[in-house]
Amino acid sequence: MRMENNVQDKIAAAASTDQAATVADKINLEGASKTFHMRGQVIRALQAIDLSVRREEFVALVGPSGCGKSTILNLVAGLLPPSAGTVLYDGRPVRDLNRRVGYMTQKDTLLPWRRAADNIRVALELRCRPTSHSEADEKVARMMELVGLKGFENHYPSELSGGMRKRTLLARTLIYEPETLLMDEPFGALDAQLKLIMLDQLQALTQQRRITVLFVTHDLGEAITLADRVVVFSARPGRIRAIRNIDLPRPRDVFRIRFTDVFARYHEELWDVLKDEVTKGTDI
Amino acid sequence: MSGEVMTRTAALPGQTEAEEDVTPEPQGTMSMRYMVIARIMLVAAMFGAWEFAPVSRGIKFWLSSPSAILSTLWGWMVDGSLWAHLGATLSVMVTGYVLGCAVGISLGLLFGFLPRVYRVLVPFIAAFYALPKIALAPLFIILLGIGMSSKVALVAITVFFLLLNSTIDGVRDVDRDLVQSLRLMGATRIEVLRKVLLPSALPWIFTGARISVRYAFTATLLAELIAANRGLGFLIEFNSGNFNATGSYAAIVVLVAFSVTLTEILTRVQAMTAMHRN
Ligand SMILES: Nc1ncnc2c1ncn2[C@@H]1O[C@H](COP(=O)(O)OP(=O)(O)OP(=O)(O)O)[C@@H](O)[C@H]1O
Ligand SMILES: [Mg+2]
Repeated sequence: MRMENNVQDKIAAAASTDQAATVADKINLEGASKTFHMRGQVIRALQAIDLSVRREEFVALVGPSGCGKSTILNLVAGLLPPSAGTVLYDGRPVRDLNRRVGYMTQKDTLLPWRRAADNIRVALELRCRPTSHSEADEKVARMMELVGLKGFENHYPSELSGGMRKRTLLARTLIYEPETLLMDEPFGALDAQLKLIMLDQLQALTQQRRITVLFVTHDLGEAITLADRVVVFSARPGRIRAIRNIDLPRPRDVFRIRFTDVFARYHEELWDVLKDEVTKGTDI
Repeated sequence: MSGEVMTRTAALPGQTEAEEDVTPEPQGTMSMRYMVIARIMLVAAMFGAWEFAPVSRGIKFWLSSPSAILSTLWGWMVDGSLWAHLGATLSVMVTGYVLGCAVGISLGLLFGFLPRVYRVLVPFIAAFYALPKIALAPLFIILLGIGMSSKVALVAITVFFLLLNSTIDGVRDVDRDLVQSLRLMGATRIEVLRKVLLPSALPWIFTGARISVRYAFTATLLAELIAANRGLGFLIEFNSGNFNATGSYAAIVVLVAFSVTLTEILTRVQAMTAMHRN
């Protein structure tokens, strides 16, 4: 146990040595921290974090509830300014909203007055993305099929299940092919079987379109299955406890990889770190 | 009356005034028929008593009678004056209403679009909102004369503030996360307005528009009572001014018919939209 912790600390240390912003980095957090002031109360959501995500890399963030994972995504999307430190995207500080990322938020942000298909289509209706009507129709149909929502085109969000809403949100984010995806527990509401199918689709899509992904999840297995690197956070205020490279060849067999020995070793190793934090977490 | 005009519309969409919420209870056709018969008999009894009440001629003058009222009404219909007055009231009301709605909704959306400007203007808007608009009627008459335009102005300003406030309430109620998600996708401010703010504020706007029909009616009538040479308000004012009780009753009958029709139309429209929303 002691030896293992030692190893993990070394891994974390090694990961933080190559933090210098290089051209290949898509996202850099340099000493970025976040403190909220709320009704005279000071909430430290995130300690100073150093983390970089390389171009086309898939990085998964795991950690106890309330440790600041969503906050990190908000920083990268430019929805929140860091309280200290800097957030770089393509080597430049994120100032206003970061329009280069597609953000699938933890919260459901579907437009309630639009049907599922029209929700998915909304990004293609914008002036910055001129799309002909027939092309948009075709893309929407393809996305609906991809996320398994064929036949639900005309349902309003209130007429869809939680998992279906998540999938609609996913389709809406993917349809305009953003170069970077920020995903906040995108598959939390899905059953195990459907989750695997969606993971498979996501892997294929991000590989094929060479998308950079920052993926928040509380499911360690999901993180290992998909990610090039898994980052484990401490309980609030979040700080990086460990970063682990997942050296599994791609494309990965999403359905079977969970039963391999390598996977089990990764899982055990990361779970050891995570479970300490989860039990420490005051938010649960 | 003016106190009613300045009541704030905090009503949420879907939340309706109690009087409009009356849905007919499920009734068998038999009991329904009895009710109609009972109502007819009640009205007949009332009118009968009114018509044949054994009172002195002096009292009869102030009391009038259904037959006299009907013949006065008939006279107005035949000589066309009824339609002229109705038309005058309707055109003031509709013009003022449409004007007030258009400007109120547009400015409300604009303030939603420019929150900083709105924050500067809030106290002024609140001050004007609190003012009973009917107090402005004499001023409008000085400024615009006793013709149609002063009345239209009064109606328009009454409706304007109601619609301004319900639109702003609607825009402020919008889920900021929806706005942010659209902006992240690359939507311009105009696109955010069209695709998020407006649809999200629409139920509020609609509620405001529905409620302000009544206020528009009240404001029109008040303006006509104060100074006019045409319209339903003038008809009442003129007849009572001439101590013509029968004429006053006849004008009130017209007014009742007018309000009942208006309420009926509003109820139908509301039922239609409620059906549409589900
Ligand atoms: N807008 C805000 N105002 C005040 N406090 C906030 C705000 N957003 C987040 N926080 C606080 O910051 C901390 C981190 O929140 P965050 O949403 O990043 O957690 P998380 O890791 O995503 O948790 P979960 O796994 O439950 O989604 C929480 O304790 C939360 O209370
Ligand atoms: Mg979160």
